[in-house]
Amino acid sequence: MSFQKRLTSGEFVVLAEMNTPKGVDISQLMTNARRIKGRVDAAVVPDMDNGVMRMSAMAGGVLMQQQGLEAIIHLYCRDRNRMALQGDILAAHVLGIQNLVVVNSESMANSDHREAKAVDDLDEVSLLEAIRSLQQGKDLAGFELEGTPTFTTGCTVGAFADDQQMAAELELTRRKVAAGAQYIVTPPVFDVDRCMPFLNAAADLGVPIIATIFLIKSVGIARYMALNEPGAHISEEMIRRIRKAPDRETECLKIAGETIGALKDKVAGVKIETHGWEHRLASILDYAGL
Amino acid sequence: MITAERKPLAEIIDYIDNCRRILLVGCNECVTVCAAGGRKEVAMLASAMQMDFMKRGKTVDIREMTLERQCEPEYVEELAPFIDQVDAVVSMACGCGVQEVVRRFRDKRVYPAVNTQFMGAAERPGVWAERCHGCGNCLLGLTGGICPIARCSKRLMNGPCGGSSKGKCEVSPEIDCVWQLIWDRLKELGIEDRYEEIILAKDWRTERGGGPRKIVREDLAQ
Repeated sequence: MSFQKRLTSGEFVVLAEMNTPKGVDISQLMTNARRIKGRVDAAVVPDMDNGVMRMSAMAGGVLMQQQGLEAIIHLYCRDRNRMALQGDILAAHVLGIQNLVVVNSESMANSDHREAKAVDDLDEVSLLEAIRSLQQGKDLAGFELEGTPTFTTGCTVGAFADDQQMAAELELTRRKVAAGAQYIVTPPVFDVDRCMPFLNAAADLGVPIIATIFLIKSVGIARYMALNEPGAHISEEMIRRIRKAPDRETECLKIAGETIGALKDKVAGVKIETHGWEHRLASILDYAGL
Repeated sequence: MITAERKPLAEIIDYIDNCRRILLVGCNECVTVCAAGGRKEVAMLASAMQMDFMKRGKTVDIREMTLERQCEPEYVEELAPFIDQVDAVVSMACGCGVQEVVRRFRDKRVYPAVNTQFMGAAERPGVWAERCHGCGNCLLGLTGGICPIARCSKRLMNGPCGGSSKGKCEVSPEIDCVWQLIWDRLKELGIEDRYEEIILAKDWRTERGGGPRKIVREDLAQ
């Protein structure tokens, strides 16, 4: 069943993030794609939105499709103007990519090409409007298209540290949904109970919610996230649990699996970010009971 | 200077249509020189606004003021005695001036009456042209004192594109090809070899790569 059909039918959706290489050696990407095939409903392929120059999401998405994995590719506004974005969107459809997710991007100042000129011709809301317009057969200048693309398009919700920021993010997300986002992807969820006020409020948006599961791979990463992402709510208890575990790696996989299990009846699906540990994805899903 | 053009009257009226008392504020600097928002333009806009209101059977009380520099706090302070007597401020300064009034009077609505355009110079009376993009890392020393970033339609750094014809730009015959100007200038100065130097990919961090810019002079900052 396709990602779109699972979303509309209410079937729980499992997505896995798959990063393209910084270079042209795709062997690891291909190996990982084969590992997760059959265990996930689609692969989410980021572009350069985290500020690292790498192979584009378009190529990554096509490679996933060639491996028999449905692809969802990131689109963002920092590096491409409305001409380039629209051209890429048309190309994505022709290359068989049926799903898009419009994401925020890291500032160029925090990228690995800090000297580059940021474009930011459109923003996330106007990019979603552009995707809708293309699907209605017109480009942003109002010209008719020869053949119209179709997509299932989502958006992300930015991270927030307090109630005020959460309200602002929800308001922005409301605009993105009004502009055409058909599903939303949350910031990483580590503490399901503390996430519930957000999930309850986001339910009012009327679109499926996909929760991000960020695989913590070490005590160091847990501490870093707890310190630098106050909205992530990584508790001392969780850090202690990993630290005291006889097999810390396995404990991290269990935590991710348990988080998915706890979210299963609360969200439409999960997007799992394993950050190079795609070979452990099956274990995470086992611990999640999926 | 920073250049500007007055907004259409209808747009300005739309901002303040529900106001009865307006403080209309010009600036004696750049917008006076480019005839967009100085004392004379303030008087003309005030009359136009009055007439528009009257035609629609409404009245508006407009106080006219023109500050020495609307982008500096000490001059913006001159508005303080009058600010509580008005419903809104309409500024004829550039965007810097508008925002300085906003910063000082946070509870007052402030509307722009001009569209700020570019940093430019007067080519002849009544004609202003873009000269500087404010990229933060001036290249004029390499290009004969003529800026390809501000004056080339494609911001090309290493010579003209194929659209340069008879010294003009393909975008419009009104636009000089800046690389023709640069070449002519280098030749006049006898330093044509400068043209052979390749300008590598520009470092845009000094433009907006690091977000909104700020200059802090430690010796002057208080």
